[in-house]
Amino acid sequence: MPVIEVLFNDLQRLVKADLPRNLAELTDILSYVKGEAVSLEEDALSIEIKDGNRPDLWCVEGIARELKGALGVEEGLREYVVKGFSGISMEVDPRLENIRPFIGCAVVKEVHLTSEVIRELMHLQDKLDQTYGRRRRRASIGLYNLGLITPPLQFDVAKPEDVSFVPLGGEVEMTLREIVESHPKGIEYGHLVKKHERWPILRDSKEKVLSIPPIINSNNLGKISEGEEDIFVEVTGTDYRTVLNTLKIVTLSLADRGEEIFSTQVRYPYGEERVVSTPNLSVKEVRLDLNYVNQILGLSLKVDMVLKLLKRARYNVKWSGGSSIEVTVPCYRMDVMHQLDIIEDVAIMYGYNNLKPRWPQQITFGKISDFEAFSDATREVMTGLGFQETLSFSLSNDEQLFRKMNLKGEKAVELLNPTSLRFTCLQSWLIPSLMDFLSKNTHVEYPQRIFEVGDCVVPDEASETGVQNIRKLACLITHSNSNFSEIKASLNAFSINMGFKHQLFESTHKSFIEGRVGTIFVQKKQVGIIGEINPLILEMWGLENPVTGFEVNLSTLMNAT
Amino acid sequence: MVELHHLERKLLLILKDGNEADLETIQRRTGLPEASISRASLWLSSKNYLEVREKEEVFLQLGSEGRRFLEEGLPERRLIKRLIEAGGKSSIEEAKRLSRLSEEDFNVAIGWARKKGWLHIKKEGNRTLFIVQKEPEEGFDELLIASLGEQTRSLRELSSLLVKGLTELSTRPNVVHQKREVERRYILSEEGLKLIDEVKNAPQELSQLTPELIKSGQWRKLKLRKYNIQAPVENVWPGKKQAYKRFLDDLKWKLVALGFREMEGPLVEFAFFNCDALFMPQDHPAREIHDIYYIKQPSSGDLSAHSTLVNNVKATHEGGWKTGSSGWGYKFSLEETRRLILRSQGTALSARMLVDKELEIPGKYYSLSRCYRPDVVDRTHLTEFNQAEGIVIGEGLTFRDLLGILEMFATEIAGAEKVKFRPDYFPFTEPSVELSAYKEGAGWLEFGGAGMFRQEVTLPLGIEVPVIAWGLGVDRLFMMKTGINDIRELFTQDLEWLRKQRLT
Repeated sequence: MPVIEVLFNDLQRLVKADLPRNLAELTDILSYVKGEAVSLEEDALSIEIKDGNRPDLWCVEGIARELKGALGVEEGLREYVVKGFSGISMEVDPRLENIRPFIGCAVVKEVHLTSEVIRELMHLQDKLDQTYGRRRRRASIGLYNLGLITPPLQFDVAKPEDVSFVPLGGEVEMTLREIVESHPKGIEYGHLVKKHERWPILRDSKEKVLSIPPIINSNNLGKISEGEEDIFVEVTGTDYRTVLNTLKIVTLSLADRGEEIFSTQVRYPYGEERVVSTPNLSVKEVRLDLNYVNQILGLSLKVDMVLKLLKRARYNVKWSGGSSIEVTVPCYRMDVMHQLDIIEDVAIMYGYNNLKPRWPQQITFGKISDFEAFSDATREVMTGLGFQETLSFSLSNDEQLFRKMNLKGEKAVELLNPTSLRFTCLQSWLIPSLMDFLSKNTHVEYPQRIFEVGDCVVPDEASETGVQNIRKLACLITHSNSNFSEIKASLNAFSINMGFKHQLFESTHKSFIEGRVGTIFVQKKQVGIIGEINPLILEMWGLENPVTGFEVNLSTLMNAT
Repeated sequence: MVELHHLERKLLLILKDGNEADLETIQRRTGLPEASISRASLWLSSKNYLEVREKEEVFLQLGSEGRRFLEEGLPERRLIKRLIEAGGKSSIEEAKRLSRLSEEDFNVAIGWARKKGWLHIKKEGNRTLFIVQKEPEEGFDELLIASLGEQTRSLRELSSLLVKGLTELSTRPNVVHQKREVERRYILSEEGLKLIDEVKNAPQELSQLTPELIKSGQWRKLKLRKYNIQAPVENVWPGKKQAYKRFLDDLKWKLVALGFREMEGPLVEFAFFNCDALFMPQDHPAREIHDIYYIKQPSSGDLSAHSTLVNNVKATHEGGWKTGSSGWGYKFSLEETRRLILRSQGTALSARMLVDKELEIPGKYYSLSRCYRPDVVDRTHLTEFNQAEGIVIGEGLTFRDLLGILEMFATEIAGAEKVKFRPDYFPFTEPSVELSAYKEGAGWLEFGGAGMFRQEVTLPLGIEVPVIAWGLGVDRLFMMKTGINDIRELFTQDLEWLRKQRLT
């Protein structure tokens, strides 16, 4: 979840209230915005916002906006208005439709930029790009000094070799392709445009480059510095709603510092041509049912109370008689999709800890599953036979499952995106992880008897997922005299105690010594294997004592008994 | 008269011829196992009757890799030879092809060849070139491999050059196995010599009561030797449950006692049940390849048995369907929902339960499930972990019932004295809450999360009554209880630790 870096004094100034410096007390207050105070050193405060669906809370202005309501400093809707048309229009090239189709822009005039404000803006921009913008794919933000730009602007495409400019922070002019191949931002985000023949580019009427979205701004036009500036904000992306929402958050964060917002016009050529005015700061009306509020929360709140709590949550409200409340949802609350989202705000303002917990009245009978009960019985028998239970990872790799078990050509269910060579597939049998366990304990007293009940996954074309979960039991014994008779005695005891009769058939299996291995059958179904581990394998695992063991399929066994 | 254990007596009597002997001789003549001889010698030496002199010797033998090198030569030697045959200069790709080495051997060969100064690497433009001047002489490491061959040799016999070779090889796994052997000699002291006469003349005592002695009644006439009850004995260990599994078992029975019934489900799951049915939009960050494991083959499954549900969920994501929601407003992909993943959250089981024909309303359900996340494993992260999750379903359930359940968990399961609720966020619940529990000595612990399933979750699955969903951080709870601070130890491979874990 996003961690927001803010200045403590800046937050106090924006909230217009004194806040405690003690982290626990501060967290109690930040709970209103699902935040947790992570650290506070001098003026630097880190806040973790637990809500991944509230990008409006990922900046100090947004946090302050909500806290003012919760603390009673300022209640009801905070209105944001577009002061007028900035006179800037944007032409969109039809060829962008399948590349990066959407753009939204706004102008904020006479912004007083200090180094802190710039720092916080950059921080917000990065948070939005990374999380809400899905690493700039869904949306990415660009900020410019309006004074340097000559409108009208065009959002069009260019061949990577045809255009060159100086990227932000650089000194030399580079072609678009050079930027994508060698500039750090190009390397990081180049994959978003590379697959296309032509790349998105933003230029002004003098053909000067503003940026290549979503990669980097130009150094000449796309740099903002301290002082009084008119700022041009632009958001491009692949998802229309996200683009407009992101634009909204950035412009509101600037507006909260007292500046005025002006709109721009974007002309879209896709299908039927249309002109859109951005940003759109309109509010949403939602009808809330008082009975539903009380039904969900288990309370019997009166309408006045609910109205009061909603205002603290920064909604405008109007009671329209009976149980119906009209709620005006502020433009930045993109997360409000359902009445329930508003009801949660009622609960938060009421205080979760003021709600009296109660235990549900319904009577139900608890029960573990039959299969779990069966598995537990096998574990009881195995511990009774003197085996220590182990717990292993169910992710494994070909090396451990097959090569180090002297098997070739077997296939496990593999992961598409493994994070390490150790975990590349799901285990198909358990003995390998038990061998791994023994190899880590060669210095520990013998005899060693271990077992595990664990889940394996194997291909199965008949199932809806194409694979099948199988629960297995495996055990190993190792000491200087361990042999087939000993492990067979354990299997016999296991059989009798689990209430089935098994038969052994001579077989071959490369993991075991030839002539000292058998397949286990119950009710004519093959359920497992038993034998002495091949010394070739013992060598590979660095084991110097004989190892014997068996492995049975509990899923098959349960159905056979 | 000195009290002696029968083992002590046996050892003394053997030593009387010649006053000293080595382990092998004693073993041969007494037929006693090594452990018994060492125990007896330990007791005797602690009483100054005996001295044990130890001499250590190290034996060397080729390991599996060593034997392979003996046959094939060291990988770096093979690489260099092939490079010279090919003119002594080649690019990295050529070198790899020429060397005919496996990927692993090839990398090892480059590392060692550079270290040994056999190989020069030069940049020429954007090409990386390998350059070899001449065939290097045989190194000490190679000499050692050749000299060991199939035999076992003592370290003492090696020349100083071969010892150098051993140092070089010691960093390479499984090339040379070193086995330490200790030779012990047992020597009688002055006091020991005096004692022997006493021992010889003492009457025979009986150490073990046998069935024969009991049946015949002979035990009445014989003296049973006194035991040194302080003497150390061999260790034995009980067979028992793995400590963390045992903790999960306890938890399981507590949940059953609270009226919860177990849910089951597959490890390999559809994105549909793991995410889409839980109203997580398809481009949610938690569904990116950094946060969820996808299956390579088969990459997707057959959801046709659930087509009605899929259509409902699709419509809900796109525009809210009949749920009263505006939905996420994007184009839902049927391809994406069929993709197979490794279960990333236990809530997937709850989604499955809601559409199970065995679902009972009212009902309470739990699962203790293995879940997966593509983290890099370290002391605070695992790629697989356990989650305790569940649902409570029934007419008239409210947010206060949810708080009641959480409070019950905190007191009954974690033994907490105080609880605190804070607002939280999960894509599938609204309102959502986080539970902190306070326990004297442990402080506040974030211990679980919960919420009321959104209408966007329940209605598409055909559920029209409220559903409470909860999850508990069981890994953390166990770590707190046992004082473990490295999460990898939940899956410990330390047999000794497991053997000694107390059950109370």
